Amino acid sequence: MKRIFLFLSVIVFFSVVSINSADAQCKSFTKKHCLCQLSPFVYDGQLNSAVLTQGDVADLMLTFYPDQDYRVFVCYDKAFGNVEFRLYDSNKKLIYTNKDNDYLPYWDFSSSETMQLILRVIIPEKAEDQIAVKSGCVSILVGFKEESK
Amino acid sequence: MKNIIFLYIFSPLLFLISCQQNPTNNGDSEKDTLATIEKNYAKKVKKIFYTVPSPIEMTNLLKKAGSEYNPNILNPTANTEKYLTVSQLAINLGVYGADLSYNRMFDQIQSSINYLVVLRKISDKLGVPEDEGAFAISRIEDNMNNKDSVMQIIAETYANADAYFKENDMPNIAAMILMGGWTEGIYIAINVAQTAQDKQSVLDRIAEQKLSLDNLIELMKGYSDDKTIQHFYPMFVELKQVFNKVDISYQSGKVNTDTINKITTISGTSHVEINDEDISSIENKIVEIRKEMIL
Repeated sequence: MKRIFLFLSVIVFFSVVSINSADAQCKSFTKKHCLCQLSPFVYDGQLNSAVLTQGDVADLMLTFYPDQDYRVFVCYDKAFGNVEFRLYDSNKKLIYTNKDNDYLPYWDFSSSETMQLILRVIIPEKAEDQIAVKSGCVSILVGFKEESK
Repeated sequence: MKNIIFLYIFSPLLFLISCQQNPTNNGDSEKDTLATIEKNYAKKVKKIFYTVPSPIEMTNLLKKAGSEYNPNILNPTANTEKYLTVSQLAINLGVYGADLSYNRMFDQIQSSINYLVVLRKISDKLGVPEDEGAFAISRIEDNMNNKDSVMQIIAETYANADAYFKENDMPNIAAMILMGGWTEGIYIAINVAQTAQDKQSVLDRIAEQKLSLDNLIELMKGYSDDKTIQHFYPMFVELKQVFNKVDISYQSGKVNTDTINKITTISGTSHVEINDEDISSIENKIVEIRKEMIL
């Protein structure tokens, strides 16, 4: 029984370590390949990235202020195919989905009032004929700048 | 024993893939089908990120209010010597970042450089590598006349420190930087309100921090094993209780999407109600928290 526990400990240890390591690589990937795409918006400085798998959903809670424009950029592993992102207001009213714009990974927003919003990122489910579930890096980046008006 | 083995194998994995459900709210305009789809998605939410406005964003919001520059409200650069632990350094990296943004807002070149030097020193002490720090004093000196460049440099400094700690499995330290920056941002706003020509707009901005405070508290909740964050947590919960007296209502409005310029404009209406007593209570609490932070 001791051997079984030892064996299981090793498996658990390596699975956790490999996930953490993948997470760290994901953040490096974001810094190298995604941040530059926020320009000319100023990055808010918060790295929201994680390794997700097909069928996962991630939410980002954020606040928009008036007099500023915001850019949301969802950077992800291309192996996922088209990743959808949606923006909801605090009343859960759907404000925007990139599904209506060919799954473009970024979009700009401006609001007349300060508002609390939820950005939802939806990773597509695996195909029926697909055997293994794919995992990959997903980063949600937010930039801001003074309103262009 | 089989059950124990099952739990042993899967409990860490369950932790890693645990779902946090969002309450679903079927708004009047939403169809039942959409509500059902949303409910299903809510069940699948694997990760929830909480963002807090950066100090740069906060001070940027205040600049239109019209107030006088007052360096006495900032955390003096000489205080750096007091910060010895990782937690103290991280919190004050956030505090000084907000102070630097305030200096930049008022075009205070020399003072901005002084604060930038302090940020670099703290970054070094925290072990954020030079290339991760991404700024050189010479770069900010060269760009000091260009406000946008300075803002970009400050943002990069924050972003790189945030990335460094998250990459190195220390997201609690990244959270402390946000905690310090958020607190100093409100502290500055409260002081700006005292001399602002458009005082009401500043008070509204302060009141609206009720929303970002919720995000900050949720973020802090995730670090229940961090002594420093848990030390500050009850103080922020008390601050939230004070903010609860502030009334903010929001009604969804028109949404206009311009597909050519790729921009969506949201025109809801919100109403903020905050009185002098609320402001005074918020100020007292913020001063108390900040005192604990800057020592």
